[in-house]
Amino acid sequence: MKNLICLYCCVFVALLFSCGNLEQEIELELPPYESQIVVECYLIPGQPMTLLLTKSAAYFDPLPTENFEFLERILEDSAEVAIRHNGVTYEMRNELFFNATTSKLFNYVNPELVPEEFENDFFLNIKTKDGREITSQTRLLPVVPIDSVVVEFNEEQDTLARVLTYLPEDPSTDNYYRRMLHEGSLDSIPEQDFTTNDDFVDDEQLVFGSGFDFKEGDIVINSIFHIDREYFDFLESVFFAIDANGNPFGQPAAINSNVEGDAIGIFTGLSVDRVVTVVEK
Amino acid sequence: MSLQKIFCCLIALAAAGSLAAQELTINVSGTVSDAETGETLIGATIYSGASASGTSANEYGFYSLTLPQGNDSIDIEFSYVGFQPVIRKVLPNEDIQLNIELGTGVQLVEVTVKANSYQESIRSTEMSVEELSTKEVKVIPAFLGETDILKTIQLKPGIPSGSEGVTGLFVRGGSNDQNLIILDEAVVYNANHLFGFFSTFNTDAIKDLKLYKGGFPAQYGGRLSSVIDVRMKEGNNRKFSGAGGIGLITSRLTLEGPIQKEKSSFIVSGRRTYVDIFTRQINRRNEDDPDYNPIPDYYFYDLNTKVNFTLGEKDRLFLSGYFGRDVFGFDGDFFDFDFFWGNATGTARWNHVFSPKLFANTTFTYSNYEYNIKTKVEGFSFEVGSDVRDANLKTDFYYAMNNDHTMRFGGNVTHHTFGVARLQAGSDDGEVNFSSGDDYTGTSFGFYGGDEMSIGTHWKINAGLRLSGFVNDGNVDVGIEPRLAALYNVNPDLSFKGSYARMYQYLHLIATDGIALPTDIWYPTTEQIRPQRSDQVALGFEYLLNDRFLLTNEYYYKWIDRKVAFVDGAQLFANNDIEGEFAIGEGYGYGMELGIEKQEGDLTGWVGYTLSIARLENFKEINGLRDFSTETRFAPRYDRRHDISLVLMYELSRRITLSGTAVYGSGDRAWLPPGRFTFQDAWGGEASSVTPVYGDRNNIRLPFFFRTDLGLIYKLFPNWGESDLTLSIFNLTNRRNAFFLFIEPEFEEGLNPDGFPVEVPTRIVAKQVSLFPILGSLTWNFKF
Repeated sequence: MKNLICLYCCVFVALLFSCGNLEQEIELELPPYESQIVVECYLIPGQPMTLLLTKSAAYFDPLPTENFEFLERILEDSAEVAIRHNGVTYEMRNELFFNATTSKLFNYVNPELVPEEFENDFFLNIKTKDGREITSQTRLLPVVPIDSVVVEFNEEQDTLARVLTYLPEDPSTDNYYRRMLHEGSLDSIPEQDFTTNDDFVDDEQLVFGSGFDFKEGDIVINSIFHIDREYFDFLESVFFAIDANGNPFGQPAAINSNVEGDAIGIFTGLSVDRVVTVVEK
Repeated sequence: MSLQKIFCCLIALAAAGSLAAQELTINVSGTVSDAETGETLIGATIYSGASASGTSANEYGFYSLTLPQGNDSIDIEFSYVGFQPVIRKVLPNEDIQLNIELGTGVQLVEVTVKANSYQESIRSTEMSVEELSTKEVKVIPAFLGETDILKTIQLKPGIPSGSEGVTGLFVRGGSNDQNLIILDEAVVYNANHLFGFFSTFNTDAIKDLKLYKGGFPAQYGGRLSSVIDVRMKEGNNRKFSGAGGIGLITSRLTLEGPIQKEKSSFIVSGRRTYVDIFTRQINRRNEDDPDYNPIPDYYFYDLNTKVNFTLGEKDRLFLSGYFGRDVFGFDGDFFDFDFFWGNATGTARWNHVFSPKLFANTTFTYSNYEYNIKTKVEGFSFEVGSDVRDANLKTDFYYAMNNDHTMRFGGNVTHHTFGVARLQAGSDDGEVNFSSGDDYTGTSFGFYGGDEMSIGTHWKINAGLRLSGFVNDGNVDVGIEPRLAALYNVNPDLSFKGSYARMYQYLHLIATDGIALPTDIWYPTTEQIRPQRSDQVALGFEYLLNDRFLLTNEYYYKWIDRKVAFVDGAQLFANNDIEGEFAIGEGYGYGMELGIEKQEGDLTGWVGYTLSIARLENFKEINGLRDFSTETRFAPRYDRRHDISLVLMYELSRRITLSGTAVYGSGDRAWLPPGRFTFQDAWGGEASSVTPVYGDRNNIRLPFFFRTDLGLIYKLFPNWGESDLTLSIFNLTNRRNAFFLFIEPEFEEGLNPDGFPVEVPTRIVAKQVSLFPILGSLTWNFKF
């Protein structure tokens, strides 16, 4: 039996050896691609209005290695950008703004804070320097407050704990959520980041769990974004697009945008409830 | 002309044909079987030189030959390739039942036998048909030594394969879900093991395979593009025997023998992979190493069984079953994973000979395909599964009015049960719970009649009509499917053929555009998802060249209506509103197939060329919540323009048989992103500097496909039976054929505006992933 195992392993090693170099670079000509405007704008109540306006590129266009050159290449400057809400128009200035908390960059800013108002739509109007017009509209959704965060230690390995996050769920409406779980700080790579809807929820409570990944003293930041269907679809389509490139089982997808005009992107409100918990026994 | 009028004309023609044939005749009927094993020989040729008339045994081995009544003895020749012909003298003064056994022996007359068989094919209205026997399959070199009848049939013209190494079939512009695969008349819903690298058919248990690409006889329905009829062996009713093999990844064993000699027999055949036995050993040896990642368990197995009983002169009963599973599992400290999928089929079949002219086959079949995934992660459990179950009752009658006029009629009713994406998840303590999934039922039916008759000495037509339907939740869909095949026989060596067939498909496969997955499931026709429909016309000729080579050439055009596809980013897994993911469109395909084959002599084989164009268009979403972004006409992934295959088998000596195959094909299509953009808020809150923008579907053609395989069989002659060593070399030229393409950026370390290190893309490259380099395998086969 031992010899048979050795023989079998040798065969497999030989197979694996011959399997080398099964990925190789090739010359490929893609169909022509016309650059589009890309909009990324999140309205967060109580925070300044910020928007990122960039350009898409053909896949094989050269990539500049310097940051400033990269930004120069992708940023769409000198556009007229305005957000209108409840009869008030907020003109956006074309200047760079870096949000150090979220590590996100924007090139159009209005220092006015996004009003916390859920009844009326926000309208976005963009006119680029070459005359392209882009529009969109969205509405803020109320925050879904986190009911409670429960820390449970593992019965077998009591040094490790998991976190259960409870929130109310309204079965009479279709709700969409983005759940993020950070350890330590918001600028860290999140332990969890996914979108979900309430299709699978049987009762009036929604629970998100984690693995037994936390130790006593760890800081866990739970964020629940109550998002709209358009943002949910947009994120899913981005995920599918990224995932399908290089995955033979994947399902490619066009980007599902909510902006009108020769553009792709998202204009949406973010209503977030965030709870910081220190893991304790 | 309405369908009703066409049908009336056909009946009138049938009546005219029968009146013309009213002279004093007798019938010789019975079965033709292998003298060594008792297996019926499907397609055996029966010919009477005196009356210049012939026929062939049907798919149940039954034949009926009409002869003019007389008092002079005449000779009837029974022949089948690989067997010694038998000539029987009969006195045609009354109906005669004659069961014939053919034995193997010196093949001096094989050329004549094959020529008879080819001429029978030339005389038949059947066209667009490919057949394979397991004898051929066992000689042709196989991937990792695993002979596979579904992969071998892909070498025939008009049946290009899907991706490298995969068993998916894309027949005449059709998709992989449009193939009706039946094993002993029971539907096999997922004929794949291990993502399609192996099929579910264990060659040791299979008798033969017949594939219809068009010109579908009226008894078949339910899929648009092909019918793959696989028949299991019946079991040796003469003596107990066994066969098996030990290969690189599987071992197999088949036992067969008489239950009551020459009256009843059984066959049991099984195979199993054993990679898991070795990976478990490796895991066990490394269990103390904290850095070691255990290898998951994977294995598959198949079990085929069949018994048959001769109940008398006129009745035979067959009971057969198939059970196969793929099992994939992982047992970790914090994470357990169990995933199985597989088919089960059962067939109870009763053959009854009512008279020398009327034969009936009544079958009850049960089919089941299911998958189940159980995952347990640190106190959370997740279980999802789907299944489809069919119970089918079917009866077929075969009526041989005379040698020039036969009729078939019958019908079937199938009750389907679908469990779609049943999901249950929650924590072990019950704090967290959610579930989804639905069960659906439906009943499909089909009633048909077909009439084949000769008109004069040159013409023969086979006209049929099938009435099919599907009933589901108060919704009824009915389809009328006319079938017509016509033959013009120029001379015994040349005929021209034409056919038309309409097909309806009431079940739809929910699958991504990517590789076939075990989680691909079937969904019934509903009020919103109407049955798919195809119409196909084909024209061609068959020519017997020099009594040795059969040349076939066919041209076809196929229209597909209500073709099912899925919207961009369709969520096909655990979705309560699956119909929202469907998009319905149209398609068409046309092409030409040219083949030449030689099946006798030391050197046998075939060459096939296929020219094929397929297009899809006008897709509309069911509910508009998601887009089907490609509005223009587009080519499906499996649009392979040119496909050439060469198969050669050469019996070098009594001990050594050599074989080789070569396949060239235009590359399949791929859907790649022509553009990209930067998005700051991708998953994980990180920026994605290269987010793909997909345009129209299947916008790229992969590099061409080429592969050569070689095989060598070295026969040993032990005292106890037969054995051989089979060497297969897969991909002899070591060509890297594209499995899929992708485009990705290459990154370097850089700094973000805040001074933190980030990865900066520097260059975009296209890459091709191949699966199989040159691979050798050695298999020991035995038979006793």
